[in-house]
Amino acid sequence: MIKILKDHKCGRKVMKRRKHAALLISAVFMAGLFFSLSGCGDARPVRYEATFLRLFDTRTTIIAYTNDKDEFARHSQLIYDSLEEYHKLYDIYNSYEGLNNLKTVNDYAGKAPVKVDRRIIDLLSYARQWHEKTGGKINVAYGAVLRIWHDYRERGMEEPETAGLPPVEELERASEHTDINKVIIDEEASTVYLADPEMSLDVGAIAKGYAVEQVSRIAVENGFISGLISVGGNVRAIGSRSNTGKPWNIGIQNPDPGEGSSELYILDITDASVVTSGIYERYYTVDGKNYHHIIDPDTLYPSEDYKSVSIVCKDSGMADALSTAVFNMSLEEGMEFIESMPETEAFWVLSNGEYRYSSRFRDFIKR
Amino acid sequence: MKLFKKTDILIIAAIIVSAMAIWYLYSNTVSGRPVRAEIYYWSDLVEAVELVPGQEMTFSIPQDEDVVFHVDKDGSIRFIQSDCPDKVCIRTGRIHLAGQSAACLPNGIVVKIVPTDGWKEGDPDIVIGSSGEQ
Repeated sequence: MIKILKDHKCGRKVMKRRKHAALLISAVFMAGLFFSLSGCGDARPVRYEATFLRLFDTRTTIIAYTNDKDEFARHSQLIYDSLEEYHKLYDIYNSYEGLNNLKTVNDYAGKAPVKVDRRIIDLLSYARQWHEKTGGKINVAYGAVLRIWHDYRERGMEEPETAGLPPVEELERASEHTDINKVIIDEEASTVYLADPEMSLDVGAIAKGYAVEQVSRIAVENGFISGLISVGGNVRAIGSRSNTGKPWNIGIQNPDPGEGSSELYILDITDASVVTSGIYERYYTVDGKNYHHIIDPDTLYPSEDYKSVSIVCKDSGMADALSTAVFNMSLEEGMEFIESMPETEAFWVLSNGEYRYSSRFRDFIKR
Repeated sequence: MKLFKKTDILIIAAIIVSAMAIWYLYSNTVSGRPVRAEIYYWSDLVEAVELVPGQEMTFSIPQDEDVVFHVDKDGSIRFIQSDCPDKVCIRTGRIHLAGQSAACLPNGIVVKIVPTDGWKEGDPDIVIGSSGEQ
C-alpha cells in the first residue's frame, strides 16, 4: 500500500497539490509536455522544475528559483519554444512542413544546395572549427558510419538474440564518405550542399550542447539570470543558485551503478556548463560484450578506454564537443588537449574504474 | 551468583544483531536525508513513495501496468520492467539521492527523488551521467 505523503512545510497533500499544479501548467503548455512544480508559495524564491520529454530525443529539465509560478512558467515557456526550434532544425530523422532542416540537407546530398536557417549555418561552422581543433575527432560529416552503428544497435536492442556487429568492410566503405570538406557552406546564400551523394550529417556530438548554449543566451537576454537548463545531461548553469552568489550543486553519477555509490561527486558550478559522455548511454550487447554509441573515427569502433568523460567549461557547445572528442583520445592526448585550453577541466573514469583529473578539476568538487 | 543469566546474554546478542542490522541499512543509504520518489506520468504526479530503508515493495502505476518499479531495502527505487524498446529506464539502475532521476521516455514516465522536508542548500540540484539523462 502506498502512502500519500504530506509536505510538512506546506501542510497539505503533496500529491494532490502537485497534480493540480501540473494540470494547470499543462493547460499553458502544449499537450504531451511534462511539467512539475514544487514550492509552497512563501515570500522567498521558490524552487520550480519543469521536465519535457519531446526534444532532442531526450529529457530536458529546467530548474530555477523564482518569486512565483507565473514567472517560472514564462521563462520555461520561452526556453522550451527556443529549444524546440533548434530541435526541429537539427533533426536528421524527421521532416517538418515548410522547414528545411538537416534531414533536408541529407536528403539532397549530391543533388542540390539547400537553403537553410542561419542557425544551421552557425552550427555547421562551429562544428567545422571543432573538427580542426580536435584533429578530426569531432566530425559532423560522419553520418554514413554512425547510421550503420545506429541501425545495428536498434536491431540489437529489439532482438538481442540475433544482435550482431557491423562488418568492418561496410564501415570502411562508409568512412570513405565522411570528408567534412565536402560540406559546402555558402554563408551569403545561406545554403548547405553535401558534395558527396553518399555522405550525411550527424550532429549528435555537438548539437544539444550548442542549442543549450544559444538558448541560455536568449533566456538571459529575457531576464532569466539564474537557473539550470539540462538537455540530455548537457547542463548549463546560468548565474548562481537562486541568485544568491552561491554555486549550483551539480552531481555526476557513477557510470557503473552496480559498483558502490551511484553518485561520484557534487560540483560547485556558477555560470558554467557540465557535460558527461559515457558508455552507459546508448549501447547494445553482442556475445556478452557491450557496444556503446561513441564511435572513434580512427578505429570505426566504440572507444574502449573510458567509462565516462566529464567536462566543465563555460560554453555548453564546447563542453559537448569536448566530452565526445576527449572520449576518443588517449588519456595523454586528451589531458594535453584539455590543459591547452583556459578555464576548461576534465574528469575521466577509466575502463578499469580508476579516476583521472585535469589540473584544476578538483577545484570544482564540493564533495 | 552468576553475573549474567542465559536470557540476558540472548537479549544482549539480540540488541547487538539489531544494531548491526540498522547500521548496515543506514550505511547502505548514502543519503541521510529523508527522501521520496515522485512518479510522473506525462503531466501528472501519479505516485509518491517515501524511501525508507528497510521496506521493500514492487509495484506499478495504474496508468501503465507494463512498467514495474521496485523499492529496495537500501532505500532506493528503480525500474525493473518496461515494455519500451531501449530499456534505458532499467539500465539507469537504483536511485536514492535528492536530485537523481530516472526516465522511460517512450512511456512518458519519470521518477524523481526529492527531499521530503524541502530542498536545502547542500542538495544536488541535478545529477547527470546516468543513462536516464542521455
